[in-house]
Amino acid sequence: MFEQTPVKTAAVAATIAALAAYAIFGGYFSREIVIEIAILAILAISLDFVAGFGGMISLCHGAIFGLGAYTFAVMTAMWDQPGALAALAAILVATAFGLAVGAVTSKTTGIFFIMATLAFGQMVYVATFESQWLGGDDGMSGVARFDLSPIGIELGDSLQFALFCLAVLGTAYALLAMVLRAGFGQTLIGVHTNEDRMRALGLSTWRHKAAAFAISSAVAGAGGVLAAQHTQFVSPELMVWTLSGEVLVIVILGGIGTLVGPVIGAAVLILLKHEISTYTDHWHMFIGVVLIATVLAGGRGIFGQIEHLIAGGGRGAGRDA
Amino acid sequence: MPGGADFWITQFLNGLQFSMLLFLLSIGLTVIFGLLHFVNLAHGALYMLGAYVGVSAAAHLGGYWSALVLGPLAVMAIGIVLYLTLIKRMRRAGPMNQVLVTFGLIFVIVDIVRILWGDVALGLAEPASLSGPIQIFGVSYPAYRVFVTAVGLVVMIALSVVLNRTQIGAMIRAGVENDAMAACLGINVERLFFLVFCVGCALAGLAGVIAVPLFSATPGMGTDILIPTLIVVVIGGLGSLNGAILGSLIVGFIQTFGAVVTPGLASVLVYVLLAAVLITKPAGLLPARG
Repeated sequence: MFEQTPVKTAAVAATIAALAAYAIFGGYFSREIVIEIAILAILAISLDFVAGFGGMISLCHGAIFGLGAYTFAVMTAMWDQPGALAALAAILVATAFGLAVGAVTSKTTGIFFIMATLAFGQMVYVATFESQWLGGDDGMSGVARFDLSPIGIELGDSLQFALFCLAVLGTAYALLAMVLRAGFGQTLIGVHTNEDRMRALGLSTWRHKAAAFAISSAVAGAGGVLAAQHTQFVSPELMVWTLSGEVLVIVILGGIGTLVGPVIGAAVLILLKHEISTYTDHWHMFIGVVLIATVLAGGRGIFGQIEHLIAGGGRGAGRDA
Repeated sequence: MPGGADFWITQFLNGLQFSMLLFLLSIGLTVIFGLLHFVNLAHGALYMLGAYVGVSAAAHLGGYWSALVLGPLAVMAIGIVLYLTLIKRMRRAGPMNQVLVTFGLIFVIVDIVRILWGDVALGLAEPASLSGPIQIFGVSYPAYRVFVTAVGLVVMIALSVVLNRTQIGAMIRAGVENDAMAACLGINVERLFFLVFCVGCALAGLAGVIAVPLFSATPGMGTDILIPTLIVVVIGGLGSLNGAILGSLIVGFIQTFGAVVTPGLASVLVYVLLAAVLITKPAGLLPARG
């Protein structure tokens, strides 16, 4: 069961508020960090939606994110389309790709599902890497940010863009929480808990999983739209499978199957990354140790552990899936 | 279309040689998969460790042959440490946790290698006796590459004899088929797991050492080889020797010939093949279980 408990609401609101304060009172550098956190958090909650609640560990979410970014870049930088239309197209392309991948892979489970999503993600990555039309290895520059000047918002300014990204993150979180609380989400969790029983109840489980994957992809695509606007540049690096792996690390660290956890995980991991990178070059070793320690400690992650403690160390409220 | 018959023979030999390297890596991974139900993403990192230990062994103890002996032994020792500290307790933790822990191990091992050996690519000279070209099927081909192919073939034949003709092989096959039943019949499955894991690690180290003269040792080599190896394992079928052989040949030849015939599309072809196999035959082409 997924419940948007008061603890969850408080945690997500506090995290977003703290990030907003950090952006407002910090300098240019802290604003860039907040933007990075917000975008990765959007990607991470989209992954948690399928991985934590549907049991689908996807290694192609980086590629879906990249598809959104590239579609947005092609529409604005190459075809001179307005930003709103480009964003819509990007989300549609990401959703369609997610639906296709979900439909094809949802009958496989466990390591086979992981490998299948890896295959589809890498196909997109390699195809983009080799495509001259999309700039190949060099990527594509000249992506414009949304023009919100008619309503008095100037996204060229890093503070306003940071706050805008946080607003999108909040919206994405609210949308996914709504879907999870609705019948669709409860059914998805049911499929994850006992797929045979759901099938026996008359549900076409693969279709339900494919639809969930498509919803998650729409959110990942929206994250890609922001990523393209952030650096105003897209490259195949957005799509490589290790990015999907790092986002999975964020989900695990924050608490898989909690939806709030990945937001906290993104903030903690990115802040630590910038802190540690000033002292040492070996930031990845730190990620590795944190990941191993998190899994060995029971795999609850930061927020899962908090919920576990609140629940009195009994049945963790967060481990619903 | 470039070249005549010589060109294609050379490409065929290249494909065979790359397939054998993939085979050395994938056989360990697939049997560990099949027997222990353990997804070891760090297998590629062990291959990299083999390469670096080999480079150091050759530099300090004189020559390639010491590397060829010490590389696999060192990786086996590291594998034993990993088995006792992490892998044993992750055995029943489910594929997701195994993927995560071994993904974390990749990060740790890569950074340890960068600290100990640095970020630069290190080379290892092939032994003098294998440095020149030799004549094979009427073309001039580097002797060292023939040696790599031969090592792969010898290991392949040795493993297939052990697995198909000896008692320990029968026990391993029984364990892959049904480990609980094998344990009931009096086979010490735990000890078997440990043995198989050690051999798998040693083969990864061996592949690492013999790969250095061809590609040099770099901190990225383990991650680069991991994906093709996993593809071989999944295409072939988990836990299956014949599957690993078939999968290595398919992936090795597609990558080699694809790079010549349709440069750029070669890597996509492998992923298309993987997706097609997963959709039509999810258990792989030659699964170990009936």
